Amino acid sequence: MKLKNYDYYLILLTTAILLAIGIVCVYGITYYNYLAVVPGWTETTGYLQFINDMNAYLYPFLVLLLISLGLCIPKRLFEQDILIKISALALAVTVILTFSFGMEIAMGFILAVITCLQGIVLILTFNKNRAIRFEKEGYLVRMGSSMLHLGVVILIFNFVTLRESQFHILIFWAGTLFVTAGNIFSFYPERMNSIFQR
Amino acid sequence: MGFAQYRAAREFASNTGQPLITYIFILGLLQFIFGIFFLWKKNIRYYDYIIKCLYISTGLYVIGFIVIIFFHFQIHNSVLIEYPKELLLPVESSRFLVPMWIESEKLFFWAMVSSVFALTIKGRKELLSFLGIILSVFSSIVFFFSNPFKEPLPVVHSEITRWYAALSGDGNVYQIAGTLYGRITYYYNSTYMWTHPPMLFIAYATLIITFVACVFVLFRRISDYDEIAYRYAKPGYILLTAGMLIGYPWAIDAWKDAAWWWDPKISGSIMMWVLYSAYLHARIYVERGKLWRTTALLGVLCFVTLVFTYLLTYIVPGIHSVVQP
Repeated sequence: MKLKNYDYYLILLTTAILLAIGIVCVYGITYYNYLAVVPGWTETTGYLQFINDMNAYLYPFLVLLLISLGLCIPKRLFEQDILIKISALALAVTVILTFSFGMEIAMGFILAVITCLQGIVLILTFNKNRAIRFEKEGYLVRMGSSMLHLGVVILIFNFVTLRESQFHILIFWAGTLFVTAGNIFSFYPERMNSIFQR
Repeated sequence: MGFAQYRAAREFASNTGQPLITYIFILGLLQFIFGIFFLWKKNIRYYDYIIKCLYISTGLYVIGFIVIIFFHFQIHNSVLIEYPKELLLPVESSRFLVPMWIESEKLFFWAMVSSVFALTIKGRKELLSFLGIILSVFSSIVFFFSNPFKEPLPVVHSEITRWYAALSGDGNVYQIAGTLYGRITYYYNSTYMWTHPPMLFIAYATLIITFVACVFVLFRRISDYDEIAYRYAKPGYILLTAGMLIGYPWAIDAWKDAAWWWDPKISGSIMMWVLYSAYLHARIYVERGKLWRTTALLGVLCFVTLVFTYLLTYIVPGIHSVVQP
């Protein structure tokens, strides 16, 4: 199965998910403001409940974002129909895990899957593997795009499942490095290229 | 004698800066009038005046910033917090290293950087005229609501004054020393304070240009405007992303167990970031003629959220905020 304008719809989907996350944030601001009428409320259990509520609203959109990121880059590795089926399966497993073991475990699963995929893509891109295809041409743009996607996934993974880990900050800096370098490579490939050639 | 030296520096900053910011305000008014006239009459003479006003006001902003640097340097040199030995506090935190983007100075810094970036736009007269109008409104806001020279650094000033008053016997030295240690270590002198806010303000400054260009895309649909919007969105997004991320380890370090998850300012920042991500994502297809209006609308919406996020500090309670319930 080949979807016409696959990339175009994928970008629209990603944009819509990002907008939805923005709306969750607006809700969070309003909700916080509503609860803050009671002085010192952040020292009560109400604050923990608020955090849990907001995480619960955000996580479904994060899962969708991760799926869309998963659909975005590894599409260069698999045929579209295979990729869509794998993504649907991953989503189904995530939903089952959510109802069986809770949202954190489900998020951990989907994050681990997507992190592995993005890691493989980055390695293949670095090795100039011909199996992967990108929307934009150029080695550094591809590297930038791969690093950016991997960095975002690492950061989400770290925030959601590794908050108590001793490597939390270390992983955070690794994710930040990937995101920043990915942005720079994606936006300024020519300049980066001229720097590397000096 | 440290306190006297500090007071003299503060007075100097105020006396030198007040006329400067008044001139900037007046130039802003002129810029506004010439901007309106140019957009209305299309007379090149008005455009030349706008450019002159912009150059002079940018120069004055930079001079004002140098005055601020001098004042901060003098705070560092003159004020010494000699912690009581019983508290066992490290000597490294006994001098203030106050960044130039706190309290009423942050809007000044943002306006200055915006003016500098405005001078880097070439070729598009209408866009620059409109930007000139926006910047004139900005300089009026700085003049009336966030004048850094009217009463320089009120919070820092009250902290220094309380310290010297305590030394004279008016107050608990131990208590004030403990508070000041926390403020100096985790706030003023923190490496994060010297990197996180300026990165964001420089990002905001470039994103003003993206906003103005997106407004023009909506009305004119000329690809040049979209190119300009994108050109300035790129560094803005890089700094916004890196700047926001740098705030995370700082929050862990400085706020520890305090309630900062889902703080309104953080929620607002995430909202702003995802919208700018959406804008840049949607823009990948702008050249194929499908998404130009959507991306331009997103660019405008992004800037609205940017201003909203900035204002959150003043309108919604939270750990970042100056308002309390």
